[in-house]
Amino acid sequence: MKVNVDLSLMDVPGQLVGALEPISANDGNIIGVVHHHDAMVGGRIAVNVTFEVRTDKSLERIMEVWEGSNVIVVKMDAVYESYPLQYLLVGDISSREIEALTHGMESMEGVASLDIRITGSLTSGSRAAMVTGRVTRKGSLETVEQFFRQHAENGGYMLIRGLE
Amino acid sequence: MDVLIAGFGVVGQGITEAIRDKQELFVKRFGERVRIVGAFDARSLALDPSGLDPDELLQRKQSTSRVGKGEAPDDVEKLLQETAYDLLLEVTPTNIVDGGLGYKHIRTALAAGRHVATSNKGPLALRFRELTELAARNRVHLRYEASVGGAMPVINLSRELLMGEDIISLRGILNGTCNFILHRMKEEGLSFDFALREAQELGYAETDPTYDIDGVDSACKLAILANAIFDRDVTYSDVVRTGIRGITEEAITLAAEQKKVIRLIGEVSRDKLEVAPRLVPAGHPLSIGGTLNIAQMLTDLAGDITVVGRGAGRKETASALLSDLLAILKDEEARREAKCRSMT
Repeated sequence: MKVNVDLSLMDVPGQLVGALEPISANDGNIIGVVHHHDAMVGGRIAVNVTFEVRTDKSLERIMEVWEGSNVIVVKMDAVYESYPLQYLLVGDISSREIEALTHGMESMEGVASLDIRITGSLTSGSRAAMVTGRVTRKGSLETVEQFFRQHAENGGYMLIRGLE
Repeated sequence: MDVLIAGFGVVGQGITEAIRDKQELFVKRFGERVRIVGAFDARSLALDPSGLDPDELLQRKQSTSRVGKGEAPDDVEKLLQETAYDLLLEVTPTNIVDGGLGYKHIRTALAAGRHVATSNKGPLALRFRELTELAARNRVHLRYEASVGGAMPVINLSRELLMGEDIISLRGILNGTCNFILHRMKEEGLSFDFALREAQELGYAETDPTYDIDGVDSACKLAILANAIFDRDVTYSDVVRTGIRGITEEAITLAAEQKKVIRLIGEVSRDKLEVAPRLVPAGHPLSIGGTLNIAQMLTDLAGDITVVGRGAGRKETASALLSDLLAILKDEEARREAKCRSMT
């Protein structure tokens, strides 16, 4: 799990090192540190840290150390890696089909975001729909592809996949 | 080396010109000339064990539409078995239903202990394993660089120069006609029908374009690549295939909004075998335009290797056939040297 955290530290020597040590000590991997010297409030400075931990337990232990060492956690987010998906559908695609695709995708596990843009053809009566989005697990890409392949086959329209 | 040419259309004439023009190279590099001892087309036959004049063959074909003065052989199999030649250059048109005459020519020549170099996709896309095993049993070469991608040396590159690599996957544009149509739709905002008509007018597409735009040509080439490079045992019909017929201007525009272009991509790996239109990021090597062919191989040591070339044409296909002819000459030379060493 990737974690992004805003910390508030006393502006004294050794505080930053003291805040980062528990991460390494609990099998964490520090990815980035942004030190906001200009954002000092009440003698404390803001530091943004991004790190990876293997388990929730490791994260809990890090939090316990911070709590006991005057490191204030202002904000914490779990940051998940995500993978882009992109499909272009071309042909006789009904509004009902677009709705079914949207609902199907929204109910699918691991789909973090979804956007569908549709255009109609003036000459042929067919439509084109660009589906873009992100999934949080690489394995979900295969599930999503199967979902679209099946819909395209049943609906008799063309499915154009992104080049991974 | 004595060669017999089966088929004397555009490709047959192209390789005849190349053989005529490269005699100095043959002599300088291998110490021997390459003679055309026979050539036949659908209507005629030219045969001379002492060697035919390439210019005479080309002139006769141009003026009479026949390569030879004599009638076409009644029994081609007998001709291929009994005539004295070392290499059959099989360049008859592709037949994707059963391999057609090309299959019979190649099979007969290999069984008769003759080397074969071909540009004919049909026999290879349908009976690759049978023909390569027949060549191996008879200790002769079956080479087919010209069957995929014209002057783009993808087969010999992967099998010879990249011999030490594990080629994980190959993706490429294997049909110049489709690429031209998709490129013109994007660049000029043309409809599919208009771009196709333009391709036909410029001679890039046949009057019946089915073979190109429905992905049949690409699928044949992909099957050959799957067998030759990935050691798979597949035929053209194993390829999951979608053509470009249904692609609309709206689809092209939507793709462009996402900084993508649509290209007909063939993809092969140990578990994939598919020809389909794909969304390719603009600027990616596979977003190449015009009638060019391109193949991108992912290898374990060297990473991505990309090769681009003209996918069709008289000189381009002749170039690929010539590379196969030279490889056979080189191997024959090595065999002779090994034999000499073993005798001394």
